[in-house]
Parts: sequence; C-alpha cells; structure tokens
Amino acid sequence: MTTAGGRPSFAQTLSAALAETQLRMINITRYPGQMALEIVIPIVFAAMPMLLGRATGGEAAAANFAANTGTTNYVAYLLIGSNVFTLVSSAFWHIAYWLRFEQETGTLEAVYLTPTSTVTLASGVALYSVIRGLTSSLLAYVIGCLIFQVNPFQGDVLLALGFIAAGLIPLYGMALIFGAVVLKVKESNAVVGLMQWVVSFLMGIFFPITVLPPFVKFIAWLFPPTWMTNGVRSSLLGVGYFFGSWYADMAVLWAFMLFAPLFGFWVFNRTERGIQRNEGVGQF
Amino acid sequence: MNGQVTVENLAKTYLTRQRAQAGLAGLFKSEAKQVAALKGVSLDIRPGEIFGLLGPNGAGKTTLIKCLTTLLLPTSGRALINGFELTKQDNAIRATTGCMLMGERGLYWKLTARENLVFFGALYHLNPTDRRRRANQLIEELSLGEIADRAVESYSSGQRMKVAFAKALINDAPLLILDEPTNTLDVPSAHELRAVVRRLNSQGKTVIYTTHIMAEAETLCDRVAIVDHGQVLALGTVPELKTSLQREAVLKVEGVISKKATTAVEQLPGVSRVALNMNGHATLTVVSQDSHATLLPRLIETLTAHNAVIQKIAPEEVTLEDVFIARTGRTLAVDTTVK
Repeated sequence: MTTAGGRPSFAQTLSAALAETQLRMINITRYPGQMALEIVIPIVFAAMPMLLGRATGGEAAAANFAANTGTTNYVAYLLIGSNVFTLVSSAFWHIAYWLRFEQETGTLEAVYLTPTSTVTLASGVALYSVIRGLTSSLLAYVIGCLIFQVNPFQGDVLLALGFIAAGLIPLYGMALIFGAVVLKVKESNAVVGLMQWVVSFLMGIFFPITVLPPFVKFIAWLFPPTWMTNGVRSSLLGVGYFFGSWYADMAVLWAFMLFAPLFGFWVFNRTERGIQRNEGVGQF
Repeated sequence: MNGQVTVENLAKTYLTRQRAQAGLAGLFKSEAKQVAALKGVSLDIRPGEIFGLLGPNGAGKTTLIKCLTTLLLPTSGRALINGFELTKQDNAIRATTGCMLMGERGLYWKLTARENLVFFGALYHLNPTDRRRRANQLIEELSLGEIADRAVESYSSGQRMKVAFAKALINDAPLLILDEPTNTLDVPSAHELRAVVRRLNSQGKTVIYTTHIMAEAETLCDRVAIVDHGQVLALGTVPELKTSLQREAVLKVEGVISKKATTAVEQLPGVSRVALNMNGHATLTVVSQDSHATLLPRLIETLTAHNAVIQKIAPEEVTLEDVFIARTGRTLAVDTTVK
C-alpha cells in the first residue's frame, strides 16, 4: 500500500506507470490491423513528394535535390522526414487522445480517484507511445528504403538513434502541453490536427528548413522535432548539422530535454487544477 | 472533528455559460453564470456506519461526493476524510478511499474484468502479487468467475456494475463511497450487492451510500441525510427522521386528481406539504399539522369541490418518503437540477 501520507515510493510509481503502458499494449492487441496500417502510412506519405520530384526533376532530380539539401539520396531524406513525423504525430495523438478518449468513456475520473498522479499516468502513456511509434516508424523506414531500393543503414546509425532518443523526451513535454489544451477545450481532433501539420512544416518534413523565411526559420528552431529530424538526416546522409557538429546540435536537444518536460508538466498541472476548481475533469 | 468523514460548511460554486437567447444569435452569444451546487454542507460521518445521502437528481449529492473524493475543489469550507485534510492531503485521501462513482463507465471495456482489477490495483500501489491475489479474491467473492476473463464490452449492464463495485474494493480501503451502485441492477443483483455492502460494513468499513431509492436508504443505512438544492435539510437515523414527523398527519389519496385540486388542498389551513405523483394514476400525499380527524373532512370537501374522483383515502404510517416530502415539498421523481 501507499506509504504514510499517501506518497508512493519510486518503485510503486514506476510500477503504476508500467501498468498504464501495459494497459495500452493490451488494448492495442485488441485492434490487430492497426499496427500494420501504421507502417504503410509513412511510406505512402513519403512516396508522394518522391514521385512528384521524379516527375518534375527527371534525370537530374537527384542532382537538383543535392544542390539544396546536401544529399542526392532524396528517397532516404523524405523517408526520414515522414518517419520522424510519425513519431511526432504519435506523441501528440497518443497523449491528447488518451485524455479525450478517457474523458468521454468515463475512465479519466476513475483514474483520478486513485493515488497515482497524472504525471505518472502520462509517463506510462508516453512509454507506450514511444514503443508503438518507434516500432512502426523504424519498420516503415526500412521497408520504404527496400521498396525504393536504397540502403537504410548508411552513415552513423547509432548517432541517428541517439538523436531520436534525445528528441523524444522534449517531444512528450510538448505533447503534454497539447494534452492540457485538449483537457481545457474538450476537443482533440482540431487541436492535434492543426498542430501536427504546423510542426511538420516547421520541422522540415520534406525540405531543409534553410529554405524557410528567416522569421519562420527562427520559430522552427524552437521546436525539438526540427533538431531531431536534422540530426537524423545529418548522421545518416551527411546533410550538415545546424551548428556544424553533431555534439553542438545534440547539446541543443539536451537543453530541450531539461526544459520541455518540466514546462509541459507545469502547464498540465496548472490546467488540471483549474479544471478541478470548476467543472471537474470528467465533464465533457 | 473526530468522525471518519467530517465536513464543515462545504460550498461549491460552478461557473457555467448559458446561451443568451434562442435562434442564430444564441449560437454565438453566451453569458457566464454562477451556480451554487453546494451551499454550506456540514456532516459528521462516524466510523463503521452506513451513511445514506438521499436526494433527487440535481440535489447536490454527486457534487458533494466529487468534492469528498478530490475530483472537485470546493469553493470554501473544509473536510477531514480518514483523518486527512481535503485539498491538502488529497493523495492520502485517495489511497484510503474506495469509490464507485461512474458505475460501468469507470471501466476499460476492451479489457477483461480481471485485467481491469489488476490495473486499478497497480494504480493503488499494490505490488504485482497482491494486486493479482486481491483481484482473484474479489472475483470469487462477487461470483464473477464465469465472466472474469471476457472483455467487459461483452457483459450485461448489471455485470459491468458488479465489476465496477469490485474495482471500488480493490484497495481494501476503510471508507467506501458508493454513488447509486444499484442503478441498472436487476432486483436479485441489487439485493446481492446490498448484502455485500452490509457484510463489508460488519467487517468495519464505513460506507457513504447515495441513492434516490427510499426503500434502499431505509433498509440499508444507519443514518440518512436528505439533500436538496445543495443543502442538508435533515439528518438522523431513519426512526429519528420518522419521529420528527409523528406530530404531523400524513394522508394518501388515490384517484383522479387535477393540479387545480392539488393547489386547493395546499391552501387548506394546517396543511404543511402536498405532493402529487402522476405515475399511472394520481397519488396525493398530504402532510398536515392537524390530526387526521380534523384534516379528513376538509380534504374530502376540497377535492370533491374541484371534481376529483377519490378511489382510496387512508392515513399512512410515516415512511422515509413522507419525511422527504415534508422536508423538500416534492417526491424523489422530481429533478431539481440547478439550472
């Protein structure tokens, strides 16, 4: 049981978070077709600009692409963009939809009645989301590369994974802010739908952000997914780091890692308290 | 403050938005409106008792329960629950309270009953062995064995309520808060659930039980608070509440009775409360400070003068429903949601 005063031990907190992850995993096994579809989506998503590029660029497509991006491998470049976007999209949807779905079904109030904090529950959902998002995006990247006949394992694969790992933590901090907005406005589709496209644009899903106007480029640099995408592209395809070296770009992601989750939790807790002060979390 | 639950002047005011007017303009215009759902509620619930909260829909019962279970922050007042102070020690309150609030809506329908119970055991910080052992124990005690490994979505409404009840027991808390737990249960299942509540109570658990079923409150609860319009209107044991009405006469009239006749009866001297229940046929409950002998001729004369057809008229032994009518001026069928 909970220790005196209701404060759980670290082991109890971890166990509750893992139970939340396990619950989501059990739940997804009840929808067996969903994972397969998630692998197809980023491939189709990247195929569209890829084929458009071939149609408009013809024989010189790769050379033209390299002039602006630093790599001739536009297939891997676009697949990286669409798969990092899958991770971003997973984070936003899983956190926002978790809150909204549970609000509608009534289970959100049920979990609020327990001594497990929302932060712990959100961590459990985030872990589930990471496992699901990483599995589908890594598989989609490899399958996409094989379909379009490029080597998926070129460059520094470990460093690319390092950029993904470092980018995921601030990403879920951001997702928690969107979760707070969903809790407040009681709507997830429009909020996440809009934000994921804004972020996809700012992170340079299919293009280098150097082509953006200066002010927009500055805003893009404030989003962790921008650094994550460029870090993965640079380590695998050598397109060039924003600050010239991998460790300088990684340091920026580490700074986000320290700041974004704390800011996300602060915003979420404030919103949650405000809602408890008025109509309560269960009202939808 | 030495009860299991002690509430002092608890108040809760909501801010809602109300559409300004009907039509196209109403789509875009709304006004902020404050709604007082609780108006200074004070209660002292003793350890080991079954305490009933009785009131119609919208009386404030659920708001009170939501405040006590930390789902809502009260606007003012204070409460001690299991020795912990509300709003300051919320985690400790949650850890020591078992709740059934949303009935079947509080379950994950894609999961089985066993998976639900084990999951909530983890959220109450039971270790993996204990949460499985406790889930198995509850499945056995509540005769859920046959359905325990099927997805909740395949259950009947009554079966889901039983699983929701089991969920409230997963942390084996000293205080149980049950919000209308027999809703949607058939008669034998409701009877079975009340028997379990009695058994748990005999083992020392304190129970707060909200209901709008008079008979349930009358047979199950040690003490009852009648709640309406966000206030506690009466509080005591069922015999105490009935005794408080003994000096008043209660007559029940059945037949064809118009609202006009009811209004005329209300205006008779000595009549303190009148409630008309139009459930199939009209039943008029008249509570008067005069004796039956004084009230009866006046009542018959007034009703017949207003074209009422009297099929049956009889003095009634005081029931909890009469107490409710005497205190609130309405039957439990009336929705008193604050709008």
